[in-house]
Amino acid sequence: MAARVSGNLLLALLLLAVALPAAAAPDHKLRPGANGKLCLECHADFEAKLKKPSVHTPVRSLDCVGCHNPHASNHGKLLAEQPRAICATCHDVVPKNARSTHKPVQESRCVECHDPHSSVTKFNLVKPANELCADCHKGIVEGSTKARYKHKPVSQGCSACHMPHGSAKASHLLKAEVPGLCVGCHKTEGPIFLKQHMGYPVGKALCTSCHDPHGSNARGMLYEKVHPPVAKGMCTMCHEPPGSANRFKTRQVGANLCRGCHSKKMNEFQEKNRIHYPVAEGACLDCHTPHASPKRGLVKGNMVVVCGTCHGDTIRRQEVSVTKHAPIKDGDCASCHDPHSGQAALYLKTPDVIELCAGCHKWEKHSTHPIGAKRIDPRNRNLTLDCLSCHRAHGTEYAHMMPNLKTTDLCVRCHENLRR
Amino acid sequence: MRSSFLAVSALLAAPLLASAEGAAYKFDRAIYFDEKEAPLKAPEGVACADSSVVVADTGNGRLLLFGFRDGTLGAGAELKIPQLPYPVRLQIDRQGDLLVLDRKARKIGKVDARRTFAGWLEPKGVADGSAVNPVAFKLDAADNVFLLDVAGSRVLVLEPGGKVKREIPLPRSGAFTDVAVDGSDRVYVADGAAARIWVAEKGASSFQPFTPEMRDRMSFPGYVYVDRGRLLVVDQNGMGVVILGMDGTYQSRELSLGWSAGNVLYPAQICLTPSGDAFLADRQNHRVQVFTVRR
Repeated sequence: MAARVSGNLLLALLLLAVALPAAAAPDHKLRPGANGKLCLECHADFEAKLKKPSVHTPVRSLDCVGCHNPHASNHGKLLAEQPRAICATCHDVVPKNARSTHKPVQESRCVECHDPHSSVTKFNLVKPANELCADCHKGIVEGSTKARYKHKPVSQGCSACHMPHGSAKASHLLKAEVPGLCVGCHKTEGPIFLKQHMGYPVGKALCTSCHDPHGSNARGMLYEKVHPPVAKGMCTMCHEPPGSANRFKTRQVGANLCRGCHSKKMNEFQEKNRIHYPVAEGACLDCHTPHASPKRGLVKGNMVVVCGTCHGDTIRRQEVSVTKHAPIKDGDCASCHDPHSGQAALYLKTPDVIELCAGCHKWEKHSTHPIGAKRIDPRNRNLTLDCLSCHRAHGTEYAHMMPNLKTTDLCVRCHENLRR
Repeated sequence: MRSSFLAVSALLAAPLLASAEGAAYKFDRAIYFDEKEAPLKAPEGVACADSSVVVADTGNGRLLLFGFRDGTLGAGAELKIPQLPYPVRLQIDRQGDLLVLDRKARKIGKVDARRTFAGWLEPKGVADGSAVNPVAFKLDAADNVFLLDVAGSRVLVLEPGGKVKREIPLPRSGAFTDVAVDGSDRVYVADGAAARIWVAEKGASSFQPFTPEMRDRMSFPGYVYVDRGRLLVVDQNGMGVVILGMDGTYQSRELSLGWSAGNVLYPAQICLTPSGDAFLADRQNHRVQVFTVRR
C-alpha cells in the first residue's frame, strides 16, 4: 500500500515536472500533434540536432514554445523572455549566498558554454569541458598542459576542483576552501608531508600561497618564482626552528627581516628623494609574497591588482578608457613606474617623459608635432611639450588616450587662433 | 571644446560628480618664476601667513619667500638650505619660523625668522622607541605638531620642542597621506586609497570614520586643510579641491584637470590667507596658483 502511494506520488511529481514548462507557456491553440513538428517543417536542421547524444529536454519533447514565441518577440531568436529568465525557469544553478559565481553566469551568457538545443558533449556543452574553459582561461589551461610537474586532478578536468556555475563554499568557484579541498587527497599528518615541508606542520596553511594548483615547472609544484631560502629548504633563515613553540614566527619583524639579505637594495631606495608608501611603512608584504609567486620579483599577483589596492582610482581610468595602454593591460605598472622609490613624484623610471614613452613608441614615426625641451607649451610657460601634453597615460574615454573626442578639439586648445 | 574637456575631467578626475562644479574659486594669478625669472619645478608645498607666503619649490630643492600685502604679491626670494634638499610640506608657526618637511631627509627641519636652518624637530619619548618617518604634519594654534608617521602607523602629537604628548594609532589599513587638526583639537587623517577621512575626537585614542569611502567624490585625497568650519581636501589624482562640512558631508568640488591658468594637474598643498586668497601648489603644472575664494 505504502509502495503504491509513493509510486503514485512519484508519477504525480513527474507529470507536474513535465507540465510546468507547458503551463508557463502561452496557449497557441496549435492543432493536435502540431507542437514542435510544425516547427520542423521549416527548421529541418533540427532532425540532425535531435540525433546528437545530448539533447536539451524541451527540444527532445519538441516543446519549442517552451522557450520561443512562434509569432513575435522583443528578444533575439524569437525567445519568449530574456535568455537568463528562460534558462532559470528550469535551471537554478547558482547556490544561494554564493561565495563565488562564474562571470558568464553572472552576465547571463549561458549559451557561451551551453548549446540550448543539442550537443555532442555532455551537459549540452558547446565543446569538451577543458577546451571550453581554455577559451577564457587560456593561460591556465596551456600552462597546466605544458607544466613539468602536473597536478593530477587537472587532467581529470577543471570540474574536479571547481564548480562551473557558482560555489557556496569558496572563492574561485572551488568546491571547498583551501586547504580543505587539498587535504581531501593530500594527507598532511604523515611523516612524508612533514619532511617535504622541512618539519613545519603546514597542514592548515594556505597551500596556494606557495603551490600552483594547476601545475608548475618548479619542483614541488611551487610557483615558478621561488624565494631562494624556500627553494633551498632553508626556512629557518626567516622563521623560528620547526621544533620551537613559535615555529612560524619570523626572526625579525617586517622589513627588518628582509633587510638581512636585501640591505643593499633597500639602501638604494633610501638614497632617492621619495620612497613609496609601503616601502616607507616597511611593509614589504603589502606587495610581495614571501615564499613563491607566479610573478617576477615575488610580487603578490598581477600588478594592476596589487597596485590597484591603493591606486584603484588610477586603474579605474584604464577600465573606462577606449584605448588600453599596453603596460596596464598587461599588468606591468613597473614598466613606467619604480614601485620602490624615485627622484620625483609619480615615481617614473625615467624623469624625461619623452624618453620613457620612447621605450615602446617611436614618436618620430607617430607624429611630426614638435616636442622636446625647447618647445614651450602655449598653455603654461613652465611646461614643455611632451607626450603627456596630448595623451593621458592611464587612458581617457576617447580614442588614443586623448582628452578630446575630436583631434581638432585637442589641437585648438593650444592653437587657439585656428578655432572655428 | 571646453565642454568636452570638462567631461573628461568629470569622468577621469572625479568619476561620478553628482553635484554641480563649484564656482567659489576664482582664478586670480599664478606664480611661475622666482625674482630672478627662474621657473618653479614641481612645487608641492605652500604656507600662508598674514603678510607672507612661502613656497616649497620641491623640484628645485629650495624655498621661495614672497611678501603678500593688500593683494600685492612680491617677488619670490630664493632660500636654499643644504639640509633641506627636497622640501615638500610647510607650516609657519606663531613666531614666523618655518617648519619644513623634507621628503629625502625624512625629517622636519626648522628655519628661523632670520631664515637660517635651526635644526631638526626630533620626536622625543616615542613610546616604543621605534623609528619615525613623517609624511605629513600640521601645527595647532599653540604650535603643537601633529605628525603623520608611516613607519609607526600613527599620529604623533608633539610639543613645539618635540616631546611626544600623545600617540594615536592609524586605522588598520589605508594609504594615509595627510593629517590636520581643527580648533576643537579634533585630528583628521586622509586615506588616499579609500578616499576617506578619519577623525580622532579631542583626547580620543583611536580614529573613527569621519566620512564614508567617497570614491565617487574623490580620487585620491592628498592634503587636508581646516578652513573656518569646513575641510578643504585636495584631491591629488582627482585634480581638484573637495569641500566637506565639519560633519563629514560633501559640500562641493572646485577646480578641474588642465594645463591652462585656473586648471590643475596633481595639486598638492593648499593654504588660505586671512583675506580669503587660496594658494595652491599645482605640482605637475610647475606653478603655484592663487584663487580668490568666495566663502
